[in-house]
Amino acid sequence: MKRVFAFALAAALSTTAMAATDPRTVPTQLPKDWQVKTREVFKQAIEIPSVHNRGQTQKVAELLASQFRAAGIPDADIHMMPYEALPGDNTTALIVRWRSPHATKKPMLVLGHMDVVEANRADWTFDPFVFREENGYFLGRGTSDMKNGDVATTMAAVKLMSQGFKPSRDIIFFYSGDEETRGVGATLGSTKWRTLTDAEFGLNADGGGASYDRNFRPLGFGISMAEKTFQTYFFTTHNPGGHSSRPRPENAIYDLADALKALQAHRFTPMQNDITRGYFEERSRQEGNSPLGQQIRAWLANPNDGAAADAIEANPLEVGLTRTRCVATMLKGGHADNALPQMAQATVNCRIFPGVQPKDVQAELQALAGPKVEVIPDPNYIGVPTPASPPRADVVNAVKAAAMRFHGKDMHVFPVMSTGASDGSFFRAQGIPVYDVDGSWGISPDDERAHGLDERIPVRAMYDDVLHWEMIFKALAG
Amino acid sequence: MRHLLAAASIIAFATAANSAAPPTLTQAQHDAAHAMFDHVIDTPTVIGRHRTPSMAEYVAEQFRSAGFPAADVHVIPYHTESATTGADETAALIVRWRAAGTPKVKPILLMGHMDVVEAKREDSTTDPFTMTERDGYYYGRGTIDMKDGIVAITQSMINLRAAGFKPKRDIVVLFTGDEETNGIGARKGATEWLDMLGHPEFGLNADGGGGGYNPDKTPAGFTMQTAEKTFAGYTLTVRNRGGHSSKPRKDNAIYSLAHALDKIEAYRFEPMQNETTRAYFEGRQKQEHGALGDAMRKWLANPKDGEAADFIEASESEVGLTRTRCVPTRLFGGHADNALPQLATAMINCRIFPGVDPNAIKAELEKVVADPEVVVTRNDDYVASISSPLRPDVTAAYTHAVQTLHPGMPVFPEMSTGASDARPFRVAGIPVYGVNGAWVIVPVDFRAHGKDERIPVQALYDNVVHWELMLRDLAGK
Repeated sequence: MKRVFAFALAAALSTTAMAATDPRTVPTQLPKDWQVKTREVFKQAIEIPSVHNRGQTQKVAELLASQFRAAGIPDADIHMMPYEALPGDNTTALIVRWRSPHATKKPMLVLGHMDVVEANRADWTFDPFVFREENGYFLGRGTSDMKNGDVATTMAAVKLMSQGFKPSRDIIFFYSGDEETRGVGATLGSTKWRTLTDAEFGLNADGGGASYDRNFRPLGFGISMAEKTFQTYFFTTHNPGGHSSRPRPENAIYDLADALKALQAHRFTPMQNDITRGYFEERSRQEGNSPLGQQIRAWLANPNDGAAADAIEANPLEVGLTRTRCVATMLKGGHADNALPQMAQATVNCRIFPGVQPKDVQAELQALAGPKVEVIPDPNYIGVPTPASPPRADVVNAVKAAAMRFHGKDMHVFPVMSTGASDGSFFRAQGIPVYDVDGSWGISPDDERAHGLDERIPVRAMYDDVLHWEMIFKALAG
Repeated sequence: MRHLLAAASIIAFATAANSAAPPTLTQAQHDAAHAMFDHVIDTPTVIGRHRTPSMAEYVAEQFRSAGFPAADVHVIPYHTESATTGADETAALIVRWRAAGTPKVKPILLMGHMDVVEAKREDSTTDPFTMTERDGYYYGRGTIDMKDGIVAITQSMINLRAAGFKPKRDIVVLFTGDEETNGIGARKGATEWLDMLGHPEFGLNADGGGGGYNPDKTPAGFTMQTAEKTFAGYTLTVRNRGGHSSKPRKDNAIYSLAHALDKIEAYRFEPMQNETTRAYFEGRQKQEHGALGDAMRKWLANPKDGEAADFIEASESEVGLTRTRCVPTRLFGGHADNALPQLATAMINCRIFPGVDPNAIKAELEKVVADPEVVVTRNDDYVASISSPLRPDVTAAYTHAVQTLHPGMPVFPEMSTGASDARPFRVAGIPVYGVNGAWVIVPVDFRAHGKDERIPVQALYDNVVHWELMLRDLAGK
């Protein structure tokens, strides 16, 4: 559930005459032979439609496992872990242990997921499961969320092994098969399979990353250290129904539409924590005297300044960072074209500010939806609030060094709270701190297409990400 | 004016009702009707479930075992399909009861449909496809729409034949298998099967008419359907680039759709009258002495009195009779719970006042929604329906049957708000009259297409007698 990290430059900076270079046109530093290998694995991964219920995720696991095997990881350290995610959705996690011959530190965990969100051919301009390269981009479902991270972490390890690199600690790769639906893999990975995954900390490839604005100026590299709690609720209305030739004033669809309008207008109370304060302090420096910069400073100075928080939240670059947000994502209702609906239901997806209990959000939603609407959490996934991970200097420094190499000194690195949930939350909940440090990047907001249409990643971002992870592994396990 | 005079004569019939005891069913006839009803309600003849052909075969077998020659009993399989309803292999049943010799007049067509609207187990109190008798009612999908009519027509013909009745004109049955979805059976009936049907002079449709009692047991009235609104489906579609649900945006396909639905909820189409509805309201206003009657009288005196029309329309008993009505019936949207929706759609079901072009309603919906993000399209190519002229013989036979079973019951001409198989026949020049004899308690038993559909037990058996009476009057003289 990655998003490309995004925020704006100060208005004052945006008038600077100095022309920036299009980062997509800068040649990658990845050697040609590794480009070819990486592209081939990436192509194969994208063309496996590892959507829930399609039974394809195991093929991605086999693809990744075969890379590790070929690089010399023994079969005994490659674990296929089949499990059931959504009822009837048989999927697989892959756990690979790259052993240190002389471990001096506790293992390090690398996280990713192999499943992708559904993509309808009819909605896209091209087949989402046919890999394409066009105009400096790789395109297809999963190119940015997050088969890029699967391939980058795997190929970085394979490349290091080919160079004879011996890690100073075990590096455990954990790729789950249902991050986009239930997170059963991460639940099992952080509990039942803990003997295979236990680590000092985790690095998640499903988050982090740098971004540029449309004028190619660096916007920053965020390391997520906290994340909002993911919880889906169902808004359901019931009605006796009847014949559609005899409409009545009470109608399940109209009742639901009223609740959706109330939801659209609702704003949760603004909140701050240490991670978001750190983030907004950095942002206020970047923004300088722009209206947004002033709003951020006003809110940092007075956390009760709701108007300032609302103005920040309304900025497309800061959505979700000031409070809990809920949005309607799916609709269904009725049973025949010529019958009044007996049931109508909206799926409402919430991202809950850390520390807020999902049941309190439920009560707030119930109050706004009114008594005609039943509000219940999705029984398939009950969100558990997770603690923020404490900042680690070694991780931050490793990321800073990599960001400097690929993006220069103007690409600032700082902590963020992720608005998307990921597998990291399950490990955080079980006491393993997790840092989202993937090294891919994009142009904001044009390349932010995770879960949406015509998903893509700059070609160079894919290739540089292999080198990025190589640097991270060397820095933290060298 | 002709309709108005006819309506007056119906009311005259109402006051001249005879008081002879109605005929009753024998125990064997009663049991046969019960068994047939039980069997057909338990057969889920919903589109996509492939069971309509087996129901057609079952009903055909009832006719054959009762002595109707197999050569005159035809189960005709056909395909039904559309983008919004899905597809199925369904069937029609055609039975021709031939008059002796060369009849002087063309056949009477008896019409009904065997298919039913979907019913979900979890939305119903009891399994909708297991007929359940409780508290004086039969419950189940199709009990009132309209397997009651299928059983009544079938059992009445079997009874008449057993009693030695010889029709003086052919009686032809057409039971279709997709009235609730695509109406292909009726279209074929009005075209390619017309020879087999013997080019009937007029049709009697069991999927219309019927009557009711008020909860205090006073008679509410029976209606004879002579006109029907045009059924037309529309789709509202909102597309959006979507995105990640952790970053909601102002533009959201589901919210845009919710606002459009809100506008449709608030909108009222222009009130309209025609001869049938004027005759209906002339009759109804005599029954209504309160505010509703005043509104009817005002509106009849001044068809431009929109306030009076709105008051009438808001009455539960008169919904849909004063104008075109549209209502959303289905919703679809989104593709994952953690993604902003790229698509949200609502099906809008309209019942259009006779004579109004469905394309004009599309334009009106676009104006109401007034949002370029919300695209309005038609789901079908139905054309405007037309009314059937009142026939004195049908009116008399229907009124006689109704008032034999329900002394003192008023009878009204009616514009049906529901669409039926009648339309293609009316368009082909064959008038059709909705003259079923089932009755309910109004409005609590109005559950066609809805939850816990039901029919009073006695109404099922009354309906068999009702059809016997009508057929004796219309085909026995």
